[in-house]
Amino acid sequence: MTPEILMLCVASQLCLVTGQLLLKHTMNQTNLTPMPWQRVIPLFALGISILSGWFFLWGGLLQKTDLSYIYPFEGMGPALMLIGAWLFLKEKLTLQSCIGIGLISVGIALVSAS
Amino acid sequence: MGGQRWWLHPYFLIILAAFCVTAAELLFKRGAVATANDPAPLGIIGVSVLGSVWTWLGIAPYIASFLIWLHVLRRVPLHIAFSIMSVTQVLVPLGAWWFYSENISPCRWAGVLIVLAGIFVVARPAMKAEEDL
Repeated sequence: MTPEILMLCVASQLCLVTGQLLLKHTMNQTNLTPMPWQRVIPLFALGISILSGWFFLWGGLLQKTDLSYIYPFEGMGPALMLIGAWLFLKEKLTLQSCIGIGLISVGIALVSAS
Repeated sequence: MGGQRWWLHPYFLIILAAFCVTAAELLFKRGAVATANDPAPLGIIGVSVLGSVWTWLGIAPYIASFLIWLHVLRRVPLHIAFSIMSVTQVLVPLGAWWFYSENISPCRWAGVLIVLAGIFVVARPAMKAEEDL
């Protein structure tokens, strides 16, 4: 794996995680009554924009490599998402979650080495 | 969860969304291959993939999965939902092997399975808590 591909994988994952955090935050707002549209619409638009960035980065990666080679790098997503959800959404981080992250990281290392 | 229609259960919907994403990824790959030699107007950024009909066909299941995902996000913590969604880590390589004859080494499969085991460990307590309700 070249540094360029690796950097694009990381950038695409950061876009994915940021976009999803924004979407989750937005959907949490939709549970409020009355719904705060003035907050929901800009947050939703920003989330979609960042996810669009992920889409085009991912498209660029697919043009250069086998799908099955880069797809497991999406495994970084749950780990980054867990940290992001804990930091920004105050979701509860458990011991099981940490063990799961460890397993995911080992799996990614194996995939990268193969 | 009593009385809820099974097809509206959030964990079923996450799996359904995962199948939609798998279909979309396989179609995107086909679109990416079809446009691999096209001029790239923005360099490494893969805008030229939009020149293939396969890419546009792939966008449809992505939109479906996105709408399902928005519904799921209202019910399930993000890190749990996203972890379960990673079942695509198995579905996509399996699809790539089946449809595109991509080579997947035993070591790579082992990595994918360990990633899945991690996802299971993250997601299991939440699923059990849901079942106990």
